[in-house]
Amino acid sequence: MSFYTPVDGFPTSTSNTQRETENVLARHQPPTTPTPAAHNILHKQKHMQYLVRNLVQGFPERYQSQDASQPWLMFWTLQAFSILQVGLDPGNRQRAISTILAWQHPKGGFGGGPGQAAHLLTTYASVCALAIAGKPGPGGGWDEIDRKKLYEFYMSLKQPDGSFTVSHHAEVDVRGIYCLLVVATLLDIMTPELVAGTADFLRSCQTYEGGFASASQPYFGADGKLLSTRPPLGEAHGGYTFCALASWVLLRPYAEPNAPDINHKNLLRWLVQMQGGRSELGGFKGRTNKLVDGCYSWWVGGAFALFSALEPAAHLPNPHAPPQHHEDDPDTNANWDDVDEGLYDREALQEYVLWAGQHSSGGLRDKPPKGADAYHTQYVLAGLSSAQHRIVPDASRRAELEAAWADAPSEAQNTTEGPAWLDRLRPERKRVFIDALSWWEDKTAAKVLGGPGNTVNASHPLFDLTITHAEGIMGHFYGQTIPVKGA
Amino acid sequence: MYEDDEPQLFSERPEWKDVTPVYQYENVNPLAPILYSDEYKDATDYLRGVLKTGEKSERVLTLTESVIRLNPAHYTAWQCRYETLIAIGASLEAELRLMDPIAIKHLKNYQVWHHRRLLLTRLGPSAARPELSFLAKSLKVDTKNYHTWSYRQWLLAFFNDEDLWADELDFIEAMIVDDVRNNSAWHHRFFVVWASGVHEGENDRDRVLRREITFTKQNISLAPNNPSAWNYLRGMLEYNKIPFSNFRRFAEPYTQRSVAEDADVVDLENPPPTSQAQLPCPLAIEFLADIYEADGEIPKATELWKSLGDEHDTIRKRRYWEHRVREAAV
Ligand SMILES: [Zn+2]
Repeated sequence: MSFYTPVDGFPTSTSNTQRETENVLARHQPPTTPTPAAHNILHKQKHMQYLVRNLVQGFPERYQSQDASQPWLMFWTLQAFSILQVGLDPGNRQRAISTILAWQHPKGGFGGGPGQAAHLLTTYASVCALAIAGKPGPGGGWDEIDRKKLYEFYMSLKQPDGSFTVSHHAEVDVRGIYCLLVVATLLDIMTPELVAGTADFLRSCQTYEGGFASASQPYFGADGKLLSTRPPLGEAHGGYTFCALASWVLLRPYAEPNAPDINHKNLLRWLVQMQGGRSELGGFKGRTNKLVDGCYSWWVGGAFALFSALEPAAHLPNPHAPPQHHEDDPDTNANWDDVDEGLYDREALQEYVLWAGQHSSGGLRDKPPKGADAYHTQYVLAGLSSAQHRIVPDASRRAELEAAWADAPSEAQNTTEGPAWLDRLRPERKRVFIDALSWWEDKTAAKVLGGPGNTVNASHPLFDLTITHAEGIMGHFYGQTIPVKGA
Repeated sequence: MYEDDEPQLFSERPEWKDVTPVYQYENVNPLAPILYSDEYKDATDYLRGVLKTGEKSERVLTLTESVIRLNPAHYTAWQCRYETLIAIGASLEAELRLMDPIAIKHLKNYQVWHHRRLLLTRLGPSAARPELSFLAKSLKVDTKNYHTWSYRQWLLAFFNDEDLWADELDFIEAMIVDDVRNNSAWHHRFFVVWASGVHEGENDRDRVLRREITFTKQNISLAPNNPSAWNYLRGMLEYNKIPFSNFRRFAEPYTQRSVAEDADVVDLENPPPTSQAQLPCPLAIEFLADIYEADGEIPKATELWKSLGDEHDTIRKRRYWEHRVREAAV
């Protein structure tokens, strides 16, 4: 087997750029095996300094191109801190809250900056940033979110095929749907009316390759009804696949018992095909025949955890099958327990992050020789986190949440009119809450390349928030007390 | 604008005197601010100004164009621009031509493409054909641009005019000849031939299927280690509910360690790998294993999965191949 991706004596522009990338990555392979310890270090301190610089001094002028993504810059920075196990001091925390609230649109939702139109993506980033920095009570940010107007904003974007535009006069895509569903889940404004037809739309975005496209095109019959021809627009893509799959999982509480499913087998095949080989340091790519990129460590690597929600047993060895041994395999690290490997090579992905994903002056990146940026710093760290930790729907956590659930908190008990989201007796509410928060770490399956010093915080596979932050904001909006695990 | 011209700030232009600029953060000392250029700050202050008053006028077009040129991702500026175009009845053809170079310059931007979509929706089918030529040009610049391809697909499906679909196969063929590994082109082929309905001249589905099979096999033989072509083959067979096992004779030579001795015996149905092919091809082994699994020959499938995991595709999917072995054993 050749080190390089085979070209079959038939070079094309794809294979040429692939080879150039492999040549660059070859210079990032550690000199010998076993890997010298010095190569396996996550430079937490440097990354922290990089983040602090952006936060306090501000983002340099080249970020002007992200002026309509100010909530993202905030979220990426705060969430990267969370993954690095760092919290904000009270002063900066308050400044973060006031900054985020300045993005809320008077008619509901959050925009890319003050005075900008509300948008599904920036609403996700703002609300998740508030989940990290905010708190209940006046000035804490959480109670200043206008959920009624937000819900109306969401409904105003709804399309006849179950999709949503990301903003008024804007495009439809599954990123927007993911962002909407996360926020609706966190803030307890999910309703059957809001998500009617959405699961079918998501399903129509799965392509013949198994991954998901950005959107699909509806065809309507003479009677105005949707036809079964709903072709995906664009090819299978890592970012869209994550968003579609997470959305699909978030919609499980609303699923009809016999509704058609997405194709699990093709999805899994596509996901594993995205992992690059040795010449690509085990990083993930986002599309067939494209280059590896650090951010897909999260979009594709993180999708494996979501897959485990579809097929709870998929990651566990079949007890009837003969055990697989790799004693003669030089790749196998003796410390790595073979019992629960997961479905992709978690060790190799960590190698990509540590060897190619870190920039020498702090921050993380797509690939060498590129510079670091706020987006990649967060998503590469999140990907590393998902490779280190195995977070799965946990039966005992589910039982604890079930036992602690308090039905219909008193303040809203008698609500019989008003918008559907006010109806706290919606039966799906409980399931949304419990499904979302029963994700828990299987500590026996943690794998940290380079030793405990490299450990980062786990991130919730559906939200990209720490479990603690997800519990905090959901407990508040659902009026629930979160039980202590194992208490 | 001339090169030696300093960009003139809106705050210095007499025709903007009556507009009150709105500064971004009035009572907040923002955390993590962006350090803007003066030009950008000025333009967006005035944008917030007109957003506040709801003005829709010719000069708002000038203003939004400035903001968009400085930051094409400013979706609020695009939104405001679109509403203004409609409100003042501006020429949408002229707008489309103004946008051509901006789209080419900012291919990776969401808004430039969506703005075109809004314009095309209003301009109607007559604008669609020239748009296909513009897209062909733009795909020469960036052959895998996601937005451009999905916009092309939208255009075809939205107008769904037989004239528009007519040349699509030739266009794809040229793209695939240019780079057989361009997955966007393969996806586009699947979109046109299978996913978007049956188009004129394509009613004989058996003939279409035979044509597509021949096309795909030939491209696999050209460069066997090309997942785009194998994925197309798999997708097409699943879509048409054709068992993979019909392709055993085709796939087998690609699973061997070298090109067979009798490779010069021409089998037109089953083009063999070229002499330069790097064999065995893991994608072919996987395909053959799927055939064995479907035919209930689990030990043979397992042997192939193990060969992938242990030798031909080790780091990539060892865990996945083990998973396949486990699943098949259930
Ligand atoms: Zn990236």
